Amino acid sequence: MAERPEDLNLPNAVITRIIKEALPDGVNISKEARSAISRAASVFVLYATSCANNFAMKGKRKTLNAGDVLSAMEEMEFQRFIAPLKESLEVYRREQKGKKEARKDKDRKTDSEEQDKSREDDNDDDDERMEEEEQNDEEEVDN
Amino acid sequence: AGAARSARLPLARVKALVKADPDVSLASQEAVFVLARAAELFVETIAKDAYVYAQQGKRKTLQRKDLDNAIEAVDEFAFLE
Repeated sequence: MAERPEDLNLPNAVITRIIKEALPDGVNISKEARSAISRAASVFVLYATSCANNFAMKGKRKTLNAGDVLSAMEEMEFQRFIAPLKESLEVYRREQKGKKEARKDKDRKTDSEEQDKSREDDNDDDDERMEEEEQNDEEEVDN
Repeated sequence: AGAARSARLPLARVKALVKADPDVSLASQEAVFVLARAAELFVETIAKDAYVYAQQGKRKTLQRKDLDNAIEAVDEFAFLE
């Protein structure tokens, strides 16, 4: 189910905001330039994904992980991204951990209220949800 | 700048791009996050590099040609050509 790269675009509003924050105050951006940057960003993700996947395959893994993406940055000569990406990843991991703890605590409280020891499923599986903030680490990519 | 984020690309959209690759079977949530963040850094970088050309042309509006110039001039952007 191949989609053309042009169909997989990133939200204009966010792209525009990132561009404006990167440039000095008072600088504008033409619609054409903004579109071109947005398309370039999509191509960047596609290329980085492919590159990262090579590292996963080299490691005989079927799941692309964060380390593979960082290796891809090196390969693509975007080494200067690596340090800020690692920082962001640390923050993200802490946030995710905080969320898990919060849900575990909530479940524990609920259990003691119900006085029911049996629980049907694990805390952290929400396989059906296709939202941005997903609970599980791995996702099925159907191809 | 670094870990501070005021703009955030939605992970669902980035995930859609990852899924478009037929060779990719599984991607961790963290991998999608790092890709999203890398794309943001990429947008910052290419915008700044293109702006150099707008400045040369004494313009305060970034135009398509500034981008084309940056892509041609910067080695790391060769994959866009």
